[in-house]
Amino acid sequence: MKGRRLDDLGFRVTTGLFGVLLIAMVAGIAVVLYTDSSAAIWKFGWQFWQTEIWDPVSGEFGARPFIWGTLYSSVLALLIAGPIAIGIAIYISELSPSWLRRPLVFLTELLAAIPSIVYGLWGIFVLVPFVRRLEAATPEWLKTVPLFSGPPLGLGMLSAAILLAIMIVPFSSSVAREVLRAVPQAQREGAYALGATRWEAIRMALFYARTGIVGSIMLGFGRALGETMAVTMVIGNTPQVSTSLYAPQYTMAAVIANEFAEAADALHLSALVEIGLVLFIITLAVNVLSRAFIWSLGQRTRPVRARAAAEAA
Amino acid sequence: MRNWWRRAMSHVVVLLCGSAVLLALVPLALILFYVITQGLSAVTWSFFTRVPGQVGETNGGMANGIVGSLIVTGLGAVFAIPIGVTAGVYAAEYRGTRLAGAIRFAADTLNGVPSIVIGVFAYGVAVLPFHHFSALAGGFALGVMMLPLVMRTTEELLLLVPASLREGALALGATRARAVFTVVVPAALPGIVTGALLALARVAGETAPLLFTALSNQFFSLDLTKTMANLPVTINNFVQSPYAYWKQLAWSGALIITLTVLALNIGARILGAERTAK
Amino acid sequence: MNNLSVSASVPAVSSSSNPGHASHAEPPAKVTARGLNFYYGEHHALKNINITLGTNRVTAFIGPSGCGKSTLLRTFNRMYDLYPAQRATGLLMLDQSNILDPKLDLNLLRARVGMVFQKPTPFPMTIYENIAFGIRLYERISRSEMDDRVEKALRGGALWNEVKDKLNASGLSLSGGQQQRLCIARTVAVRPEVILFDEPCSALDPISTAKIEELIQELAENYTIAIVTHNMQQAARVSDKTAFMYLGELIEFDETDKIFTSPNDRRTQDYITGRFG
Repeated sequence: MKGRRLDDLGFRVTTGLFGVLLIAMVAGIAVVLYTDSSAAIWKFGWQFWQTEIWDPVSGEFGARPFIWGTLYSSVLALLIAGPIAIGIAIYISELSPSWLRRPLVFLTELLAAIPSIVYGLWGIFVLVPFVRRLEAATPEWLKTVPLFSGPPLGLGMLSAAILLAIMIVPFSSSVAREVLRAVPQAQREGAYALGATRWEAIRMALFYARTGIVGSIMLGFGRALGETMAVTMVIGNTPQVSTSLYAPQYTMAAVIANEFAEAADALHLSALVEIGLVLFIITLAVNVLSRAFIWSLGQRTRPVRARAAAEAA
Repeated sequence: MRNWWRRAMSHVVVLLCGSAVLLALVPLALILFYVITQGLSAVTWSFFTRVPGQVGETNGGMANGIVGSLIVTGLGAVFAIPIGVTAGVYAAEYRGTRLAGAIRFAADTLNGVPSIVIGVFAYGVAVLPFHHFSALAGGFALGVMMLPLVMRTTEELLLLVPASLREGALALGATRARAVFTVVVPAALPGIVTGALLALARVAGETAPLLFTALSNQFFSLDLTKTMANLPVTINNFVQSPYAYWKQLAWSGALIITLTVLALNIGARILGAERTAK
Repeated sequence: MNNLSVSASVPAVSSSSNPGHASHAEPPAKVTARGLNFYYGEHHALKNINITLGTNRVTAFIGPSGCGKSTLLRTFNRMYDLYPAQRATGLLMLDQSNILDPKLDLNLLRARVGMVFQKPTPFPMTIYENIAFGIRLYERISRSEMDDRVEKALRGGALWNEVKDKLNASGLSLSGGQQQRLCIARTVAVRPEVILFDEPCSALDPISTAKIEELIQELAENYTIAIVTHNMQQAARVSDKTAFMYLGELIEFDETDKIFTSPNDRRTQDYITGRFG
């Protein structure tokens, strides 16, 4: 029997070790990112994120345009994709006839499976010309609004936002769909029994699942923040801070992708890694927060059941 | 009167949600349409057998990219599958322990890390210390991306295996290791394979992690310690080049990648459906 | 033995505005079923049901599991409409309206025919909002009017005294019995004519059960009540008439006294004496 105990212990330790390896990997990312960027951190401090000139050749590293571009593009994408993702989730989980459900789910997952570079290719050759035509057709009076100012290049924030929106819709909608499925049917029947219309009952379910829905939107946001290839191919890759949708801009992920392989020197590299570090931290925070939101929805149903069980006992 | 308004509202919402679905499907159709129509013309035998060659040559292919992608993705799988499955085994068998919870949390976190950050990580671990880019570094980067998916699927599937199977083996006197690896894991194998396929599908088209690990290569090479051609990065390079033929090759490469990813996804789904049908 | 507020036997029958609570006068029919059949896909779940629910009476439905009593209840407010494979045929009337008419406004039907479910399911909102939800579907009223309506509804659910100081607490913070009374209160808030109770006490403790049974008898003064229950004693305590169902058929329907002391059908007899169930 002792041999058996030792074997079991060995099993537990070995498999546990592999698990620890996985954890180490995550910790390793943080460590490596910090180490490789420390040169830039020590040299520039907070100035790094407050200056706007990015000129590796002359040694000037102002990363503000990148964080601006990342946040701006992701927020825009969210504004476009959020309502669409929720609409899809509502349709699939509450409204569609049952035979349509599986095909629709399959199609949305297809959208998620298309690689970023394919989106980028389509973006450059199809979306950007279309957006360029759109921008060129802007009426004169609209052009005075900062949001729509600038030459109609096609490449720029608008194309990036649209492309990002298309890419994050399937993620947000599939999580939102799961979240809506978790709403107990009894709640819906309760609303219908009072005479609610389809929409009023759905509104009830949305209210019930609101934290989860918010979580699903945040998840999409996190995805948009880190998106690289598709964005870099359509955003214009120009480090400037601009509110105009038509202006070519730059994101954190894009600048790393474009400049890393041929970084001018160790400082340049270190600066890029610092950008990567901050990107890592931001996406980590958004993801953890969104999962907390989604998880807390599951928690809400438990107290009700526990009490009912105690009562029935 | 109010009732008419409520009913109308309800119909409007149904319409809006339906249009949201259509709105999402339009880009899907457009993308697939363009990729297929633009890419198909250059998908010839030479596409699969020749390298791009010199600038100006118009009969090159992407053979090196295809082979390179297979190799690098394969390396990723070799790295990710043993670690992911074993970690998943621990998380399932010792569910409820703090370590299992930590593993799960780590996997979910890893899943959310942007692919470019993973590329930077892989650079720091597998390129910088060795002072050169390599296919191995690229494989490592892809492997790190596959890890969480493999681990989560393994864990979920092992938990689905009925306790009676595990207990039956243990009751006969088998050690934990034996019980798990000879009875429980095989029972969950189809699902684990599905998970592996989905993980492969996830990384097959990834460009960012390879941009500064495996980099790219104009030539055909099987040397794991050097840069290796791969479809995504090559496509990226060709798109930015001024040569029409290379742009054409880029579309064709995109078509191949898309079809492969689709095939892996569909294959995983069919396998999954068979399993639930049992 | 089961009766409510007792007044002298009033023989008047046909006026629905002031029905007597006499146990032997026949009240006007509120809900009538004739030849009602129900199908879950191919499965014939309700077979040729003929029954009348008397206005301001409590009608109980008893029978073993699977006999169709809940299914029958759910036809009265077309709740089955949510599920495409379920359908009903035959005649089912609420006063003069055909409940089964496909063009019938379901929202209004359900405003007239309310339902309380087995498991208390308050909405994840405050107690006040739970009540206001239903009212807001139909009416736009001022805050003070709403306060009034909420109070009335909570009184109607025998809950007012217990929650009047915490109307902003979450509905989920109440005990099971209180939650169920909250659900009753929100049903009453939209002023229905019929209230359907689907095993309302099966998830509750005996004290809450007693409270709700008392409440049902009070409610019968103003509403037509139908209650499905697997607890025969409850049916005996609470109802005026009882229907015994078995395998989708209505076996016997009569005064509650009669059903429980001298039923006509052998199967009814067997069920109430516990030979099967």
